[in-house]
Amino acid sequence: MSDLQLTVEDLYVRFPTSRGTVEAVNGVTFTLEKGQMLGIVGESGSGKSVTAKTLMNLLPRTAEVDGNITFEGEDVRAVAKERRKHFWGVKMTMVFQDPMTSLNPVKRCGEQITETLRYHLGDTNATAKNKAVDLLEQVGVPEPSKRVDQYPHELSGGLRQRVVIAMALACEPSLLIADEPTTAVDVTVQKRLLDLLDGLRRDRGMSMILITHDLGVARGRCDDVAVMYGGRLVERAPTETLFADSRHPYTEALLRTIPRIDQPIHTRLEPIAGRPPELIDPAEECAFALRCRYAQPDCLEAIPPVGGVKGQHEFACFHPANTARGRQALDANLAAGQTVTGLQIQAAAGMN
Amino acid sequence: MAGTGHAPLRDDHNVLLTVRDLEVEFPVGRNEVVHAVSGISFDVAEGETLGIVGESGCGKSTVAKSIVRLNDIKSGSIDYQGNDLAQMGGETLRQIRPDVQMIFQDPISSLNPRRKIRDVISEGIAVWGNTKGSWSQERIEELMVAVGIDPKFGERRPHQFSGGQCQRIGIARALALDPKVLICDEPVSALDVSVQAQVLNILEDMKARYGLTLLFISHDLSVVKNVSDRIIVMYLGKFCEIGNADELYERPRHPYTRALLASIPEPAPTVDVSEGDIEGELPSPIHPPVGCRFNTRCQHATDICFTEEPVMQQVGDRDHYLACHHPVEVSVG
Amino acid sequence: MTGSVPSTTVVDDIADDHEVDDTSIKRLGFGFWIAISWIGLISIAALLAPLLPIADPNEIANGAPRDGILGDNFMGTDALGRDVFARTIWGARISLGVGFLGILLGVVVGGALGIAAGYFKGLADQVISFLVFSLLSFPSLVLALLITASLNRSFLTVAMTLGIVGIAPISRLARATTIQFADREFVQAARVIGAKSRRIIIKELLPNVLVPMGALTLLGMGISIVAEGSLAFLGLSVEGEAISWGKSIVDGSQTRDLNQNSHVAFVPIFAMFLTVMALNFAGDRIREYTDVRETAF
Repeated sequence: MSDLQLTVEDLYVRFPTSRGTVEAVNGVTFTLEKGQMLGIVGESGSGKSVTAKTLMNLLPRTAEVDGNITFEGEDVRAVAKERRKHFWGVKMTMVFQDPMTSLNPVKRCGEQITETLRYHLGDTNATAKNKAVDLLEQVGVPEPSKRVDQYPHELSGGLRQRVVIAMALACEPSLLIADEPTTAVDVTVQKRLLDLLDGLRRDRGMSMILITHDLGVARGRCDDVAVMYGGRLVERAPTETLFADSRHPYTEALLRTIPRIDQPIHTRLEPIAGRPPELIDPAEECAFALRCRYAQPDCLEAIPPVGGVKGQHEFACFHPANTARGRQALDANLAAGQTVTGLQIQAAAGMN
Repeated sequence: MAGTGHAPLRDDHNVLLTVRDLEVEFPVGRNEVVHAVSGISFDVAEGETLGIVGESGCGKSTVAKSIVRLNDIKSGSIDYQGNDLAQMGGETLRQIRPDVQMIFQDPISSLNPRRKIRDVISEGIAVWGNTKGSWSQERIEELMVAVGIDPKFGERRPHQFSGGQCQRIGIARALALDPKVLICDEPVSALDVSVQAQVLNILEDMKARYGLTLLFISHDLSVVKNVSDRIIVMYLGKFCEIGNADELYERPRHPYTRALLASIPEPAPTVDVSEGDIEGELPSPIHPPVGCRFNTRCQHATDICFTEEPVMQQVGDRDHYLACHHPVEVSVG
Repeated sequence: MTGSVPSTTVVDDIADDHEVDDTSIKRLGFGFWIAISWIGLISIAALLAPLLPIADPNEIANGAPRDGILGDNFMGTDALGRDVFARTIWGARISLGVGFLGILLGVVVGGALGIAAGYFKGLADQVISFLVFSLLSFPSLVLALLITASLNRSFLTVAMTLGIVGIAPISRLARATTIQFADREFVQAARVIGAKSRRIIIKELLPNVLVPMGALTLLGMGISIVAEGSLAFLGLSVEGEAISWGKSIVDGSQTRDLNQNSHVAFVPIFAMFLTVMALNFAGDRIREYTDVRETAF
């Protein structure tokens, strides 16, 4: 177990609101090995960002958290008060979608990095400044000694994100959580940022959690991919397995619904019916059942537990795709023309 | 004026909309202007879907908004069935508006939060009355059904619907006036991936059912390819390449088109991934580069690219046009 | 082109079937109803003052002069022996009246100017903004002095004065709110559909601008009522025998009265305090209550 860097067990996060309690994360369990890059894929409301914020202790005070989080052998939720200010942001850091969340608009880029260094590592002004130039160079910021004296608004979105990454790397973290780091930038910038993150984690032996809504981004970069839906982790597998042999019908549907560049033009897309699940008072059933082509009566009776092969290919489904049980369920639904939830289905082109 | 050339314009009588030498500038600060769109020409044939793809700041949305005259046009013409939309204003422009409708990027922002969705969808009929015969309350019901919104929810307000539903309501609103041309400005980029396909399929169905001509603007190369017959690649207010969608993706010849295709997470097989490593930053549209606008980042750039602007020219005998001094050679398969 | 009614392209969202009902969860709260009750009570009393079984407010020596609050007259009498309670009720007529009329004028004129500036932008905005800034940079008391000095000090003049003073800040708010909505995509969509500016302003902008303005009207009315009090101290409130809270407070503010018969000033002060407080509170709650939710999640 020594190569386990992060263990999350039975994580629950709830937010009381005026409309009821939002059950944002519902019993998420996963592990991360040292040096591994784990992709967490999901749509808005899937709980992927809330999970990351929980790890980083960034949730608002109103959030109710339950579960165990162990990082490098230490219980994250029970860090002693006096160590708190040098815990997050040092060994475990995070990069957000919008670089301006992390950057102070009225401070020079260099200052923002040296501040981190002086605060967490007690560096002197001079050492910190040298390190800052160094860090900017490492993250591929051109003319770093000039950039340290510039303000964030003088930089492009891509460069700002690089400055944020430099800040995150300042204290030599062993885990970097990147929450949609490239969603706000263009594809050409995205490619270079992802190349950078990929290179950094290899050079430094860092572990990384890459949170994204883009299956393609996860596929190209991650060792393992976990798919979240309705606050639950519904499937996790090594990347190639997940894409080639997905088990959870949501993963399968997601892969089929996205237009692909290698398809001919006007290829009919296979939409996923319905809309993302309610997070307030969700029913005791599979969250995907209402939209699922495989749905059977048992899907509406209980929440499917995470099964499969632990540590290899885990999934939470009673009738997994690409298995005999799943095919049986689908065939029965296709024969009836609808699923147990009343969802009208028909054989789509390309279905087995 | 250094335009991008008229080569891609067709004489075909099927052409519904012809944009010629369109130039749009926005004033910023002290007597400076953003050169948002700088002399572009293209046409759209009836029943066609024309895609425009490019990165943020390339001017693709400005093209869309210019056609529906949501921004001022510096010069150029927009010919729609013999009417020059660029020169029109006031009541004459208003009279022609029902023919050219638009769908917006942000489904939430494009619906008035204080109006019931039935009122939102029937706004066109409320404005124009039943002057066209086919405009009626029954049509509102029909459209709601067509875009998958149960008419019994017509009394609800936008916040009671999901993003995908709101976008479908926006489509129904645009179609209520029985338009000829539908301009879609990033219609799925604000939506979750699991609902994008719903909206894209509806657009295809509506196009077939109501005989629409589509101008589809997106930054997503896969989405654009899926819906478009022809595609334009834009960079910094200029066109790089126009072509038949299949042809363009199979034989991309402009270095920028190739860079885009190589940068996406699952790159197109026709390009080398390393072509996606374009250096540097997007130049300022206030002072765009002289010559070819891509010259600051292009691996193939030579002296001529810094002095002379490339003009749109046909390549091969296919419907494929290119503005580049050094087009990448591709094997003709 | 339209053919027969086609079937749906997509299976409609199943989640639609359950009622999304969020307005019932938001409540105005107990405090709001207390505030509204007070405003209602004082307004009815003011309206019905001639019919109420109260003393004649202007009758001198209605009771012994400077009668205490627990004396023969309910709430005592002032230096001239006039009934304080009756004067406070009658004062509400003028105070609430000028407050309401004043703010109405401010909202109608200021709102129209602000919406026009925010929607049409350009030259219209520059001209209106110049006027508004001129108005803002003029000390409001001097402005009030000028108006009342050059006209008369009738009920309508005082109301108009308060209204003119309110135009500038109200138009700034209306302009800011309008700008916030004028570039939204739903306004662009209305233009693309072919709606004329008047229709866009009425159908798309007004519903979004009026609600925050409505809440402001209540707050502004409170401010106007207090402003009338200030005018009264300068002798610029309504002239003659007309009674307002401001004038009653001034009447009770001579040193001798404040020391020995503080109730003469404090009864109208208290009435004004409660009313302004209630207006502020109610306005604030309405603003929160009508804040529109824009997203489903």
